[in-house]
Amino acid sequence: MNLRLTNKQINIIEKANPFLIVSTIVAFTFGLYFSLLQSPPDYIQGDSMRIMYIHVPSAWFALMAYTILAGSSVLWFITRNPIFSIIARSIAQIGMIFTLISLVTGSIWGKPTWGVWWVWDARLTSMLLLFFLYLAYIFLWQSITNKDLASKISAALAIVGFVNIPIIKFSVDWWNTLHQPATISKLSSPSIDISMMVPLFIMTLATFLFLVTVFFIRLRIEILDNKILRIREVK
Amino acid sequence: MNELKIEDLTCYRGDNLVLKDLNTKLKSGDSLVIRGSNGSGKTTLLRVLSNFIKSYNGKILFNDHNVLEDANYRNCFNFVGQKNSLKDNLSVKNNLKLWEIVYKKNIPYSKLLDDFNISHLMERDVASLSDGQKKCISLLRLNFTESKIWYLDEPFVFLDEENSQILIEKIKNFNNNNGIVIITSNINLHNTFTNEINI
Amino acid sequence: MFALLKRDLYLALYSSSSFFYTSSFFVLILIILPFLFGTNDVQLQILFKGIIWIGLSLSILLTMERIFNADYEDGNLDIILQQNPSIEIVIISKYITHWIVYCLPLFIVLPMLSFLFYVSLDNIFLIFLNLFFGSFGMVFIVTFVSALTLGAKRTIFLKAIIVIPLFIPFLIFGTNLESWPILLALSMMSFVLSMYVSAYGLRLYVE
Repeated sequence: MNLRLTNKQINIIEKANPFLIVSTIVAFTFGLYFSLLQSPPDYIQGDSMRIMYIHVPSAWFALMAYTILAGSSVLWFITRNPIFSIIARSIAQIGMIFTLISLVTGSIWGKPTWGVWWVWDARLTSMLLLFFLYLAYIFLWQSITNKDLASKISAALAIVGFVNIPIIKFSVDWWNTLHQPATISKLSSPSIDISMMVPLFIMTLATFLFLVTVFFIRLRIEILDNKILRIREVK
Repeated sequence: MNELKIEDLTCYRGDNLVLKDLNTKLKSGDSLVIRGSNGSGKTTLLRVLSNFIKSYNGKILFNDHNVLEDANYRNCFNFVGQKNSLKDNLSVKNNLKLWEIVYKKNIPYSKLLDDFNISHLMERDVASLSDGQKKCISLLRLNFTESKIWYLDEPFVFLDEENSQILIEKIKNFNNNNGIVIITSNINLHNTFTNEINI
Repeated sequence: MFALLKRDLYLALYSSSSFFYTSSFFVLILIILPFLFGTNDVQLQILFKGIIWIGLSLSILLTMERIFNADYEDGNLDIILQQNPSIEIVIISKYITHWIVYCLPLFIVLPMLSFLFYVSLDNIFLIFLNLFFGSFGMVFIVTFVSALTLGAKRTIFLKAIIVIPLFIPFLIFGTNLESWPILLALSMMSFVLSMYVSAYGLRLYVE
């Protein structure tokens, strides 16, 4: 297993941690205050739509995480710098959790809105498939014992998955237009009021800070894991 | 007259240095036994020589052509690894038939098995054979090509006294017909072959 | 290339994956339909379009370890790659064998199945086209997944988790009778992807 991280890089990762944790807590305090107390309830959905302030950011970052995963895999192919392999692995688990959060919150939101826990909506279905793409990546990484090989192989799978996301999205959208049940109205808000924009913005920022915090913690874990592997190999 | 030359061969697997500055030269009729403990890179060396592993430092020259660039080289050697290349669920005969197709060579099977005195195994399923018998059959692959070099990875493992002797005769016979043989082994062959290096 | 093709077909024949077995598999997968859902002919026609894709997916998916894994584990892959100068030709030959052994029998039993499930001949032709173009793409996909997972611990479930999300576009368009051009396009895309990824995976593992 290669590890050519400079001490400087590791230092940055370690020193940034307390700062990130504090700023995440501050951002969430503000965000939750604005989204739960300051902003008005939705005039149709009432208080239940407040879950949007968690649901929407986590869905965005679930998608962004896969972009980072694929991006760092491509960079790994070009530069062969092991840091990109470590980044890819760290972001994969976070992305999977965010996908799960957005699925669960979407489902909880769906119960009062649609009356059912799940609808076969194009967006929900695509997210479900994204979850399995993450799962496949993580499982593949875990099931190959030679970790040097595992990082090469899973990088290829990440890129394949990324190429497939638009295809899956396109086909699921197309499928949805065929099978859309007439009784269920689509979740489309034509315009979001400014009073909801502010808390959504703050919550997005908070979620982003949370993502970065967890990402840095995961990075440290991966680096330590690498060290353990190396020590074992030398022995 | 053929010549295989290894120049300053150094090979990394991951971050581990497996082979370091290996130099040797073999001519037609030469045999070389590579000795070393488990994990010392014997198999790696044979896989480098067989062009499976392509990333290494140094040069391997066959008749003064770099083997990585010589398209003809793959027809010049035969590699018998530790895996038997046998399908467990098929009979010995069917396995030989599959090899025959892959190697594009017709061979009278019954004669082939006589080499190791195992012609009675022809119709048996490979799964029912002992490890030694499987090894004998796997070594029969050497008859399927007219190669100039043999790379044998641990060929004596599982073989009994009698079959080992037969194999040694086979190798010596190949040597006498201007063949080059490289054998890896972690057991002592009691100076049966002239050249020996430790890695 | 033809030597390898011949060898793989013989191997399939010897290991009793002959046409008879595979076509029986397809017929049986479809025969469970009336037992599950009754014999209402309209319902059967609708379900037929879906289950036939499940049958095809299973046939391709469950046997994917025979593409590279078996040869890799017993060492035959070394011989194959040594005897064939181009890795791409090895891959293409594997596509063809896998398609012939595990997809072609479906097309042979398809006309008979259409009688069993009251599907009209016009429709069976469109279903045939869909299956034909889709099956290639699905074979391309399992081939590269098989090449990528050569060294993974032997679990068909892991491979299924990787493969099924990639199958979904094929299944979505496959059940729509007019979309064979889209399936053709999908198959061509997977071909390009599969060639690169399979070659990459194989090269890594034979090292």
